[in-house]
Amino acid sequence: MNRTASIIITVALVIVISIMLFVQPKSSPGLAKIDTAQNVEIRESVQYVTINAKGGYSPKVSTAKANIPTKLIVKTNGTYDCSSSLVIRSIGYQKVLPQTGEEIIDLGSPQTGTLQGLCSMGMYNFVVNFN
Amino acid sequence: MNKYTLHISGTHCASCKILIEDDLSELNFVKSSSVNLKDKTLKVEIASNELPEELVRIINNKIQSRGYTVSTEMTLEKNQGGDVIWKALPIGLGFLIMFFWLQKSGILNFGIGGQITPVTSFIIGLIASVSSCLALVGGLVLSLSAKMSQDNISDTKPFLLFHSGRLISFAILGGVLGLIGSAFNVSFTLTSILGIIASLVMLLLGLNLVGAMTKSKFTLPSGLFDFFRKIEHKSFTPLLLGFATFFLPCGFTQSMQISALSSGSFLSGFLLMFAFALGTLPMLLLLSFGSTSFARGKHALVFFKAAGIVVIGLGLFSLLAGLAGLGIIPPLFNI
Repeated sequence: MNRTASIIITVALVIVISIMLFVQPKSSPGLAKIDTAQNVEIRESVQYVTINAKGGYSPKVSTAKANIPTKLIVKTNGTYDCSSSLVIRSIGYQKVLPQTGEEIIDLGSPQTGTLQGLCSMGMYNFVVNFN
Repeated sequence: MNKYTLHISGTHCASCKILIEDDLSELNFVKSSSVNLKDKTLKVEIASNELPEELVRIINNKIQSRGYTVSTEMTLEKNQGGDVIWKALPIGLGFLIMFFWLQKSGILNFGIGGQITPVTSFIIGLIASVSSCLALVGGLVLSLSAKMSQDNISDTKPFLLFHSGRLISFAILGGVLGLIGSAFNVSFTLTSILGIIASLVMLLLGLNLVGAMTKSKFTLPSGLFDFFRKIEHKSFTPLLLGFATFFLPCGFTQSMQISALSSGSFLSGFLLMFAFALGTLPMLLLLSFGSTSFARGKHALVFFKAAGIVVIGLGLFSLLAGLAGLGIIPPLFNI
């Protein structure tokens, strides 16, 4: 194989890999907004943030109100991949979730800031911003 | 009695010296032979009157199948090596892209609902073996088998031991989980640390396969080198490695461990984890025996370097993900 051609192909492949790994997939921004609006709700003065865990977490970024009692609901539905083993370092939470079900995690009244959840291998994550 | 000094190429490992000398001792006219790995020369003493050209032909017939070539003149091996890496880079990167694309595509995310039976856990094992868990377990298998083939340990025994060790320990540990029920919890931090150690080993082996270590004259500390030598030769080490994969961070393994925990009896936990490990077996067998057969083919040099690139890529991915999992660095990937 021609060396120059190989170098060009190599550079191209490196770019493809970087895009795959580091660029956030652009699902249409409108859709993401609806997602965020729907996954945070306040019932009887308790705020519920719902995250779906299957092949990653969705929505990846949620926005919620700070300083009110908040519960995080993580839903699994036939989830066997890494997203079922959830780690939330800031509150010292780690658990392998049931394959199908809802896990309710009491967050207390979170202060302004971000809460980050990860799967145990570290390649899936989600963020909840408290404002 | 004639003495010749020939140039030899393809000697990539310390054991090559022994292999070549062994091969040559089988030729009855060769009185003695000695390989100098540093100068890449072969000194032979022969009892007959072959011309150097004839001698070269006979010796090449004998050792070319292992990837070595002798000649009366110095070959420009440096240049060849440079071309090989440029062939290997696109191949290795291509495999990495296929792997990450598979993860992103969502193909692997179909659900299996209902009760977990040994049959469903076998299917989950099949999925797990091409999932992101492959980055760690598969990468480790690939790097170890490629490294062992590169060092010309043509024995298949270590692989058989590794895979049977893996099957047996999954089954037995699954049974134990079923027996003791919910009292047991594998610490995430422990598995993350094991994962990071495994990815560091992969990075080292990957760099070694690519040849970056020998080129820059940077070699493994001799203690570590001895350690790898022992890994390659002792029979309990592959068994132990197979056992250790039970604790490597892999979401599928972890959720199967939970299923085994809640299965309620030794036998059901045993069957679940055994079926799961059996499901992961085809892919891992393909990796280890595929690499040994490639290593004996004529594209061996390209294969070692391409495998090295794949292993480095997977090792980096697991290392960064593992560090993120421990909360040491922010998560980088959006898979």
